[in-house]
Amino acid sequence: MGVIGYGLGVIGAGLGIGLAAYGATSSMARQPEVQGRLFTVFILASAFVEALALIGFVVTLIA
Amino acid sequence: MVNPLDSLSEEMDELVEGFASTAVRGDLTVGLTQYTFWMFVAIAILLVVVFVFKKKQAQNGLAPKGRFVNGMEFLVEYCRDDLCKGLLGDTWRKHFPFIASVFFFILFNNIVGVIPGCKPGTGCIGTTAALALVSFVYFIVVGMKSKGVIGYIKSLAPAGVSFPMNALVWVIELFSTFLRLVTLAVRLFCNLFAGHVVMGTFAVLASLFVIPLLQGFSVQALGQAGASVFWIAILLVIYAVELLVAAIQAYVFTLLSAVYIQLAESEEH
Repeated sequence: MGVIGYGLGVIGAGLGIGLAAYGATSSMARQPEVQGRLFTVFILASAFVEALALIGFVVTLIA
Repeated sequence: MVNPLDSLSEEMDELVEGFASTAVRGDLTVGLTQYTFWMFVAIAILLVVVFVFKKKQAQNGLAPKGRFVNGMEFLVEYCRDDLCKGLLGDTWRKHFPFIASVFFFILFNNIVGVIPGCKPGTGCIGTTAALALVSFVYFIVVGMKSKGVIGYIKSLAPAGVSFPMNALVWVIELFSTFLRLVTLAVRLFCNLFAGHVVMGTFAVLASLFVIPLLQGFSVQALGQAGASVFWIAILLVIYAVELLVAAIQAYVFTLLSAVYIQLAESEEH
């Protein structure tokens, strides 16, 4: 059951990282000169999203 | 004909148990676990690399030569320009030593951990929790120094919110500040741990599918050994991803520390 719950939790995180990557790539295509700063922001945003998925991973292992 | 996947769940349990800290010297309270041992190895490598870099840089004069010196200079300058100057602004010089030492410590630990047979020092929750605690105390002290103790505690709630909502926002912000401590530690630990479990799973699969061929030759066993080659191919791809994760997680931890320091220092919030 825990594994199924983790899968459900990852759906949201996957969507979140996908959206972040979508925004980053499309704005890099529009404005290639802000690539460096966008990369930092993208990594930062995906780190926040990823934390939620990883908390799910820990809870799966504990429960 | 036995199905190699039958024994997978036992092997997986054994694999995950293998990641638990075991004492090499002493016991788990006071002693050396396999993770701390590899952490000391990483620290030793880091010290040697840094001192050799410093010596070679001094020999060469101002224009650096060679792959090693240039590579190290790239890392240091990336840390300085991208993490410190880009995020912290004018006060970057004060925080550069802290940011750079956290970055290099995590980077070397992660890279040592990716080498087969070695363990990442950052792959156990104790090390990452200690690192997160250091970073947490650092940004709080920086915030209290720049705004005063009362000023920093007040500044958790954004200015411009009227009284009753103010208190609620302050409580939420206080909670999220302490959550930073947890997420910093858990993010680094889990990325390393999960990555190594995935690599271990494919290694276990590769070995399980080869066993029938070793026990006796048959066409089916040969087919299963062919599947094992496929698992090894996936393992190599995941290994490359793990190399990337090792660098990115060092970057993320340092980046978040720098962002928290910047938030603690900034006037408007």
